[in-house]
Amino acid sequence: MTDFHIKIGSVEFMNPVFVASGTFGYGVEIPDLLDISKIGAIVTKSISLMPREGNPPPRIVETSSGMINSIGLANIGVEKYIEEMLPQYAQISTPIIANIVGWTFDEYLEVLRKLEAVSSNIIGYEINISCPNVKKGGMEFGTDPETVEKLTSLLRKATNRLLIMKLSPNVADIASIALSAERGGADAVSAINTVVGMSIDPYSHQSNIFTTFGGLSGPAIKPIGLAAVQKVYRKVSIPIVGIGGISSGNDVVEYMLAGASAVQVGTATFRHPDAANQIFDQLKTYCQTQNIQQISDLTGKVKLHS
Amino acid sequence: MIDQVCKVLSINPLAKDIWEMTFSADQLVKIYKGAGQFIEILGDKTWDHPLRRPMSISGITDSTMSIIFKVMGQMTSRFSSLKVNDEINVLGPLGNTFSHPSENETAILIGGGVGLAPIMNFLNELKSINNHVLTIIGARTKDEHHLDHDPCNGMYLTTDDGSIGDHGTVMPTLDRIINTVKYPKLYACGPEPMLKAVQQFGLTHDIPTELSVESYMGCGVGLCQGCVLKREGPDFAEDSYQKKYTVVCKDGPVYNAKEIHFD
Ligand SMILES: Cc1cc2nc3c(=O)[nH]c(=O)nc-3n(C[C@H](O)[C@H](O)[C@H](O)COP(=O)(O)OP(=O)(O)OC[C@H]3O[C@@H](n4cnc5c(N)ncnc54)[C@H](O)[C@@H]3O)c2cc1C
Ligand SMILES: Cc1cc2nc3c(=O)[nH]c(=O)nc-3n(C[C@H](O)[C@H](O)[C@H](O)COP(=O)(O)O)c2cc1C
Repeated sequence: MTDFHIKIGSVEFMNPVFVASGTFGYGVEIPDLLDISKIGAIVTKSISLMPREGNPPPRIVETSSGMINSIGLANIGVEKYIEEMLPQYAQISTPIIANIVGWTFDEYLEVLRKLEAVSSNIIGYEINISCPNVKKGGMEFGTDPETVEKLTSLLRKATNRLLIMKLSPNVADIASIALSAERGGADAVSAINTVVGMSIDPYSHQSNIFTTFGGLSGPAIKPIGLAAVQKVYRKVSIPIVGIGGISSGNDVVEYMLAGASAVQVGTATFRHPDAANQIFDQLKTYCQTQNIQQISDLTGKVKLHS
Repeated sequence: MIDQVCKVLSINPLAKDIWEMTFSADQLVKIYKGAGQFIEILGDKTWDHPLRRPMSISGITDSTMSIIFKVMGQMTSRFSSLKVNDEINVLGPLGNTFSHPSENETAILIGGGVGLAPIMNFLNELKSINNHVLTIIGARTKDEHHLDHDPCNGMYLTTDDGSIGDHGTVMPTLDRIINTVKYPKLYACGPEPMLKAVQQFGLTHDIPTELSVESYMGCGVGLCQGCVLKREGPDFAEDSYQKKYTVVCKDGPVYNAKEIHFD
């Protein structure tokens, strides 16, 4: 029997397969066919200070082995989240990680503080930094090491709960951003968010996404995610949560070998609402046949050509 | 909603580029709520085409479901080459249903192109409870129709080129037969220009109208929030949620015509 427990910061999880932000709602409006109690953890859709309508359609388009989305962080806002969603978590045993987004330092901090005041049902936070900093000419928070360190330490001071900084792949040097998160006091980093992409209809000549650019996800980005995890693994000593194109048990193994301690499943859930559980089952089979005693033993054990 | 592997029981061409497929669905039918609901078919076991394809339920028995689909692109083309006994993965039933007319109301069903799929399903549902129904099905030309023009039994076909049934779009026919009905209620599914025309008609004549809309869909279960459509109403502030946009796969695909806004 394999031991699937993993630890991030001081938190222990029963299994390393989580569901990714923006692909599983708030964790409670979930299709009845699903046994969510078996999921390692649920990361909520990004929560902002004010509610957000999100972008006009078209918001999504299928691409080869993936999809592009530009939902625009549509969400109910932190007040309503606290009022309507938090109480429902009392009924579920799955650990909930609240994903937070903001457009200024203050916004991130305020959302976190509001949750912190009532968040007995939340195990920790994941911070979406793939968002334009309005005070810095719209440059994404996640692209500047200094900004990331400052934001991380600001949030760190406001909570003792699990703090995960979610890295954007759309940067020159993702490892240095991860290092900033570590210096700022993050318990872990997760990588990657979606990759900037575009899609055009050759007949109408029109962009297939209203906002022109969107976020590419799905198996198309798995190699990008793996490389990001390996680069980050070489630079920091805090745990890494691997994300990007995971659709099978073997994908989880690859991410762990590259350096991840846990993983998140996103787009695969849109094909099969039960994808995270199916992937965990495949991981179990893999571990059985490969005689893996402890899942965490795989982390970072990729064999490189010397 | 469940995710079931279904066996194709029959698949036949109905008209030009239009196919009807029936598949085993013993689990799905148990939780089916009514006409207007749809399913999402996973057409590709590899990830070349990651997203499922939404299809309205066009017919139902106690152990099967049917769809009527038009070949539009790669996946629908693949569906058309499925054979009896092939397996498909079906997620459903999804979305809401048409609401039945009240006792004194007469339903007028309007289908354009493959928009006839949920309309045929609703027609059979209403007939099974002895409702008096009028139906108008529009297409560009005769080849795209598979039904008979039969006004005596309440079935009107229209073609843009006049090759069968009434000449023109569904609108002149609707305009004509509406006067024969005291309390009409309209139900429509079809291409957006047709839905817009029916919406306009319903609003100006103050006739209750339900529209089944399409939008580019992802998960089909409300998780991805990709398939939104604009709601009718004042320009809502950006810092509201689902006042300006409605999620079609969850809140729809059937809407009161007053509720939604086509650009
Ligand atoms: C609720 C609902 C019910 C539907 N019911 C029917 C039906 O009963 N019969 C029928 O023939 N068609 C129906 N459609 C439309 C059908 O889903 C598309 O024609 C189909 O997805 C095209 O797939 P494709 O791979 O062949 O085309 P593609 O090559 O992918 O594209 C061709 C066209 O189909 C549209 N399309 C592609 N993917 C999607 C998607 N995921 N969702 C919606 N549109 C898409 C594209 O915008 C494009 O215009 C319905 C759509 C919705 C949203
Ligand atoms: C429709 C959609 C919505 C998303 N919304 C969010 C979000 O609100 N916040 C966030 O941090 N990431 C969001 N993501 C990114 C995912 O959490 C994940 O990082 C990315 O999709 C890569 O994983 P995948 O290939 O398994 O989907 C979203 C992704 C998709 C496809």
